[in-house]
Amino acid sequence: MNHAAAEEMFATYPVAKGCFDELLTGTARPRAHWSALHRELTATSPAHIRDRLGAAERQIREIGITYNVYADPKGHDRPWELDVLPMVISAEEWAAIEQGIAQRARLLNAVLADIYGAQTLLRDGSVPAGLILGHSGFLRAAHGVAVPGGVHLHAYAADLARSPDGRWWVLADRTQAPSGAGYALENRLIVQRIFPDLFRSMRVPHLARFFAAQREALMNFAPRGEGQRGDGPTLTVLLTPGPYNETYFEHAFLARYLGFPLVEGGDLVVRDGCVWLKTIAGLKRVHAILRRQDDSYCDPLELRADSALGVAGLLDCARRGTVLIANALGSGVLESGALLGFLPALSQRLFGEALQMPSVATWWCGQQAALEDAIRNMDHLVFKPADPADAFEPIFGQDLDRGGREALRQRLCARPERFVAQELVRVSQAPVFTHAGAIGARGIGLRVFAVATPAGYAVMPGGLTRVAGRADARVVSMQRGGGSKDTWIQSSAAIDASFTLLHHRVSAGDLIRSGAGITSRVAENLYWFGRYSERCDDTARLLRIVLNPALHDSEDDGNALAPLHALSRRFGLLGEEATSPLAVDRALLAAATTTENPLGLAGNLRQLERVAFNLRDRMSADNWRTINGLTRDPLFGRPLPLSDTLNGLNRIVTSLMTLAGYALDGMTRDHGWRLLSLGRRLERLLFQCLALESALGEGSGSGLGWLLELADSVVTYRSRYLSRPEWLPVLDLLVCDNANPRAIAMQAKGIKDFLHRLEESFGPCGHADFAPAAAALEALDPATDLHPESMRLRSAIRQITTAAYAVNDRLAERFFTHVQSHHWASAGAAVGAGAAVAPDLTTADAA
Amino acid sequence: MATPRPTELPRSPVATVRYRVCHETVYDYAHPVTSARQLAHLQPRTTDWQSVFASTVRIDPTPGEQSEGLDYFGNRVLRFAIDGAHERLAVTASSELEVRPHTPTPRCSSPPWHSATRPPLDLMAPGALDIIQFQNGSPMAPALIEAGRYAARSFVGERPWLEAMLDLTCRIKSEFTYDPSATTVSTPVSDVLSRRRGVCQDFAHLMLSALRALRLPARYVSGYIRNDRPAGTSEALTGADASHAWVSAYCPGHGWVDFDPTNGKLADTEFITAAWGRDFSDVTPLRGVVLGEEGQSLEVRVTVRAL
Repeated sequence: MNHAAAEEMFATYPVAKGCFDELLTGTARPRAHWSALHRELTATSPAHIRDRLGAAERQIREIGITYNVYADPKGHDRPWELDVLPMVISAEEWAAIEQGIAQRARLLNAVLADIYGAQTLLRDGSVPAGLILGHSGFLRAAHGVAVPGGVHLHAYAADLARSPDGRWWVLADRTQAPSGAGYALENRLIVQRIFPDLFRSMRVPHLARFFAAQREALMNFAPRGEGQRGDGPTLTVLLTPGPYNETYFEHAFLARYLGFPLVEGGDLVVRDGCVWLKTIAGLKRVHAILRRQDDSYCDPLELRADSALGVAGLLDCARRGTVLIANALGSGVLESGALLGFLPALSQRLFGEALQMPSVATWWCGQQAALEDAIRNMDHLVFKPADPADAFEPIFGQDLDRGGREALRQRLCARPERFVAQELVRVSQAPVFTHAGAIGARGIGLRVFAVATPAGYAVMPGGLTRVAGRADARVVSMQRGGGSKDTWIQSSAAIDASFTLLHHRVSAGDLIRSGAGITSRVAENLYWFGRYSERCDDTARLLRIVLNPALHDSEDDGNALAPLHALSRRFGLLGEEATSPLAVDRALLAAATTTENPLGLAGNLRQLERVAFNLRDRMSADNWRTINGLTRDPLFGRPLPLSDTLNGLNRIVTSLMTLAGYALDGMTRDHGWRLLSLGRRLERLLFQCLALESALGEGSGSGLGWLLELADSVVTYRSRYLSRPEWLPVLDLLVCDNANPRAIAMQAKGIKDFLHRLEESFGPCGHADFAPAAAALEALDPATDLHPESMRLRSAIRQITTAAYAVNDRLAERFFTHVQSHHWASAGAAVGAGAAVAPDLTTADAA
Repeated sequence: MATPRPTELPRSPVATVRYRVCHETVYDYAHPVTSARQLAHLQPRTTDWQSVFASTVRIDPTPGEQSEGLDYFGNRVLRFAIDGAHERLAVTASSELEVRPHTPTPRCSSPPWHSATRPPLDLMAPGALDIIQFQNGSPMAPALIEAGRYAARSFVGERPWLEAMLDLTCRIKSEFTYDPSATTVSTPVSDVLSRRRGVCQDFAHLMLSALRALRLPARYVSGYIRNDRPAGTSEALTGADASHAWVSAYCPGHGWVDFDPTNGKLADTEFITAAWGRDFSDVTPLRGVVLGEEGQSLEVRVTVRAL
């Protein structure tokens, strides 16, 4: 590669104006710690780079990394925007950041301990009392709770930005339930694969140790039971508000990486002063909760009564010291820019140390002098809420005209304590790949992470570099459409690359074989995953047959259309209103390609995706990639010619078989797998019964070729009989043949076996009620019963259908989160005369 | 939390009264409830002017777990849990206590109202942080600018604090209609203000909103009023036969003084304090989370007998 081409690669990179340039020095030379990356880029052809970009984008789409934005028209799964060029920081510079962040975390923890304890800092004026006592994040119910190890702040993040003079400043502290560490790890996994050699040669420290430290620390700080009932090994769970949270992907990813069960509030229950996880094998004691749910929503009994996400009684468990909650309830109170200005003095007051990592100049307007300054210097300031509950967009003083300035002045004077004024930082710029495949520049911010360990705070070597959405953006934020980068610390030390979380030492006592720890919610989702994946398969196969024009002139003499339409109607693909042949064709095509009929293929796939989404922490990347491919198949969306539609249905059937293969070949044989398999078998049994009833309903005139094709049994039939389909052999193959994976008898046998296995662990699960129907099926005599007019055949099919529904109900009652969780915040009565009735609050029921 | 004791104001000429209070709450559920956790503020707190001799809570069915404690405001709380199906929950709190005179007469002198808006100089003093805490808005009694505007007519110039407070208390009584059908326990203050109707809880929240908008420290008091007719009066007070709510406000050098906007008067020995907090949500007599299907009816009976 010649010099000219190298120049060309960076020709589009703009010279920094009024801000710090991460890449280049004042003389437009790459900075020392960037030189290796710079060389790599200039030595690579733009086409090659575009290939790498494409690979990264595919990977993100396939793995399904998302960041949900509430009310985003793009739906609940906007892909994560990753810029593959890492942000590089030199080892010396990083050492200072690391120290400063650890010190800051220690300081904030000490402030929390005081606020929720003696409140000396409020009394001696180190922190304005009104700032804390008037803050919605100060949870009075959490005051006086003795937290394990004196640690309130287990996970901490700080948003940093670099000013034009090259210094780093803290813009905001994240103390509630900081997000982003998981995204940083995910970015790393992708980017290090794109630049493998560079990653090694630059000796970038690995992230795994940071997460290991967090996991071990939580186990370490967690209280131990004193021989209480069911108190097994230390159990840490990750508490998520659920799939609709903007960072749910990260919750699922971290839960899987750290090896913590991912739970929602409904999975936990308080008994005997302890927290328990509801599993299919009963309650399991929870010792530590890593929460990604805002604290005020964590306990509807003592905190926000309108929270449907919480665990009633959780706070009292914290009070009794039976559970570690990380971060401690109430730690969100520090997420106020208002506190930033007081930290240097607090550091002196509490530690006798200067604050190493300063905050950008920030004033709380609740103090008279600060208010006057803020009004005077409005042009150079950005105004933000002092209390996150007071959500308003940042106001940039420089944007306001005379009227706007006066309006802001009045707002400030009316409720000054609700505002903080912050100096505007011109953030630094770093190179990014533009969509055109060239190199451009964007403003960046850096989110760094620390976790509490018994030896002090450990800082993640690296972090999440956040990239402004537009070239001129002043606010760097994910919710505003920005992207992110991996962050590389260039180090001179040797890197221990062998360490990964997946290789941590397991002792004999940690061995888990039974898988009985499956939560009831996961069990329910696994069961429905089985049912929906089979239902999708049945739907696709049925549509493939009924839409095929070849049907009308098949070698099969009988009438195939009548039973197929009858089945389509009973299966919900055809509505009552579709009577004319034209309307029928239109409705069937719509059922294949659009979501207008919720029982159509796209509708069922959507249900499958929803259930899979709830299981994401248990899905392998391959599994998830297949599901993503299914729901994004070009079959759905715009109308296609019939031939393309049929091709699309073929693709779907193939992918669904791949999915079934994972379940067969890739899943541990635990109770979760059994429930999934039961779901699949029950669904298949119900569908095959329905298909047979539709065929039998048309009497002996019904065609049979479609029935064999629907049951994927054409090849078997031909190889056995070498003739046109006839009733006796077809019925034998589809009803009685124990070796045919789609025969009703095989489903019945499978269901019986799975129920038997479940009963070994859990007691009666309905085997006894199902067995007679299965026996009636086995008792069918080929000599007398396998013809369309047989009453015994029809009655056996009816009976097994009814029994299958009964098994479904029995499983739901035994294993799933069957309690309708209607919560009442009973309000007592303070309304003078008459009774007070509180509004009913209903928790969202998963199923 | 100790409260600076009002010492300088002459007391109204009322004698100490001894009471027996019974507060009974019964939930009837349409379908069996499988599990319930409840938090009760039903046992009256001891204050500088109120001594509680005995206070017991009877719960039916008998809870599997039960514990007592004090909340952030120093109120007595009782937590209990019932695991096991039940179709009815009855909670009966019985207390015997004494209330001593503690309220100034309306004609007492007091400093200009705005002196009460200044935060205390010495935050080390017991109870000083409370004054700041109650100057700030809370979930059900936010510092509403429009409520402040409503109150501003009472708080003018150098008007003495007590006079201004009483004026606002009486204005709420006369300008608002007591109407149990107008609001629910979760009606926001802004609705109460615009519709001019509500019950004692609404009037207390409205008054708190107004006072806090003016940066005057004020807290919510949950309690009871005597519902027998004291000798010499012809009418029972509104809010008897159930629990009641009013407002306590702070004046520097004088301490906390109780005002009842529902009845338009100072609250003295005919008022029994159960608990105080920033608003109703801090001191709900009985709040809980139950698991079961929807459908419930609630009955509350309060009897207050002067002994």
